[in-house]
Amino acid sequence: MAHSREIVTDLEDKANLVRRNIVRIFESSKQGHAGGTMSSVDIVTALYFHHLKLDKKNCDWPERDRVVLSKAHAAEAIYAVLPEIGYVSKDMLDKYYAFRSQFQGHADRWCTPGIDYSGGSLGQGLSFAAGMAKAEKMHTALKPPAVRVTAANYPKLILKYNPAYRVFCIVGDGELNEGQNWEAIMFAAKYKLDNLICIVDYNKYQLDGPVEMIMPIEPLADKFKAFGWGTYEINGHSMQELVDTLELTNNLYGDGKPKCIIAHTVKGHGIPVWESVHLHYSRLEGTTIAVKEGREIYG
Amino acid sequence: MVKYNKYVQIGPPTATMAAAETAMVKVAQKYPNTVVVLEDMGMPGINWFKENAPERIVECGIAEANGAVIAGAMAAEGFIPFIHSFSFAVVERAYNQIRQSILVDRFNVKITARDGVWGDLGISHDIVEGIACTRILPNLVILNPADAVEAEKAYLAMVDYVGPVYFRMEYAAPAPFKIFTDDYPFEIGKAYQIKDGKDATIIATGYLVTEAIKAVEILEKEGLDVGILNMSTIKPLDEEAIIRVAEQTRAIVTAENGTIVGGMGDGIAAVLAENAPAALVKVGVEDEFSQSARLTAEVDELKDFFGLGAKDIAISVKEAIAKREKFGLIRK
Repeated sequence: MAHSREIVTDLEDKANLVRRNIVRIFESSKQGHAGGTMSSVDIVTALYFHHLKLDKKNCDWPERDRVVLSKAHAAEAIYAVLPEIGYVSKDMLDKYYAFRSQFQGHADRWCTPGIDYSGGSLGQGLSFAAGMAKAEKMHTALKPPAVRVTAANYPKLILKYNPAYRVFCIVGDGELNEGQNWEAIMFAAKYKLDNLICIVDYNKYQLDGPVEMIMPIEPLADKFKAFGWGTYEINGHSMQELVDTLELTNNLYGDGKPKCIIAHTVKGHGIPVWESVHLHYSRLEGTTIAVKEGREIYG
Repeated sequence: MVKYNKYVQIGPPTATMAAAETAMVKVAQKYPNTVVVLEDMGMPGINWFKENAPERIVECGIAEANGAVIAGAMAAEGFIPFIHSFSFAVVERAYNQIRQSILVDRFNVKITARDGVWGDLGISHDIVEGIACTRILPNLVILNPADAVEAEKAYLAMVDYVGPVYFRMEYAAPAPFKIFTDDYPFEIGKAYQIKDGKDATIIATGYLVTEAIKAVEILEKEGLDVGILNMSTIKPLDEEAIIRVAEQTRAIVTAENGTIVGGMGDGIAAVLAENAPAALVKVGVEDEFSQSARLTAEVDELKDFFGLGAKDIAISVKEAIAKREKFGLIRK
């Protein structure tokens, strides 16, 4: 079902708030993975401000939805969200990358409340997410069923019964060069992990250049489909498409298929000076110019 | 007649594999959250799981990188996952996965591996660097039991301990002597003095403790009183015990089935250099790879080829004593 215009507009405002926080992060740190952070802002906003099942008072709530940021270099996007939820103090926005900071260069489960996976070594997040999803299935299987499943109630139950938690994994496009992703993709299909949703932040550029030149990954949707995944392609900067597709994958729970949402995005989205050069990493003076631009746009 | 310490009663060779199987079944029954994450290479105790708890088997296929991270994630969700294979696969193929997705967050994963030079399929599967490449990783405990009794106790202890453990198994080795009595108190991080000795001390691990026992019996006949320290926890090393025997004898021989470059011997060398200078001779595989040997018949030949047998250890003990005299080191 399509989400109302009010919900979508509100989330678009939230996305701008996230961008404003990211500008603040860069203002003090003067460095960071600018391009991949900005391309994932709308995805992260749709998840944290709308779609995820969270307890704002308890970031370790066992039944919270998990987020595995496999492209952990885009941690700034999630760091910009965490103070808004209340998991960390807002001052942390000025401490990104700093020594002994809760906001490490790459997302770190050990240091940061609300981070489920310590990433940074690319290609492992999807395996971790699959492991968490498999664990959810096993916890459920090891518990005695609340309702006896019979032939009569089976289809109804499968639609109504929700997992204890879902696992959302955000992977980068360049990261899909890593062979381990495809081991995880096979694994998730084998174990019918319909509680696993992989979101590809497909911003078309990796460190050395365009993905299609470095190591072509197309036809990406066909590959996921061939591996037995439910696959959707959307505009990763359309809040409407994001929230509608996320809800669709929720409603398909019970079909035994892991889901992949290929979100077409723009590297550096929202900061023109970064967007124009598909910037991967921002440093010092370049950051100052971008921050000035960001302040003008997002306040 | 060689005199051993309490809890030591040397008996005929007993395979450690059966002990690991027994221990795994006990573990599985004690902790219902034990799961086996397979990498198409089986697991000690797997038959029990197949018959009694197939829902606790997660098969990843020949995909060790994925397997290690799946195990890390399941530990994050409260399970106690075991992964198992040859050490080149379960550890080396998935080295960064173990580092990033298990050790960084101290996830409670138990890694068991076939390791060491025993002619087991030759250069690809016969691994010299298993100890050296794991010893340098933070947050990892490394266990390498000497006999079947210790294998079972160490197996149970590793699961009672919450955190990542690398449990090394020298599968293809000849069965070690039965060394310990059933009431032997194993403790992670504690080396056990199997035998006291005033002339020199052999610090041995795994199957080479058996060879050390044979070496000590040879040396006893030659009038040398040599001690044995069983270093079944390779990380963290029991520094206190190492310093104690170094001060007592000032002549140390380390013995391990693995490379002497960066292995247990080098770890002990650092403890000695920093705390208690002693003459040191390292017994282990020189800086080279292995080759295959037929089980039973040729393993002794292979052992001699790499200099891992009792004779080599005995020669090394005499070398260490000669070095001590040359260096003018005084015993306490």
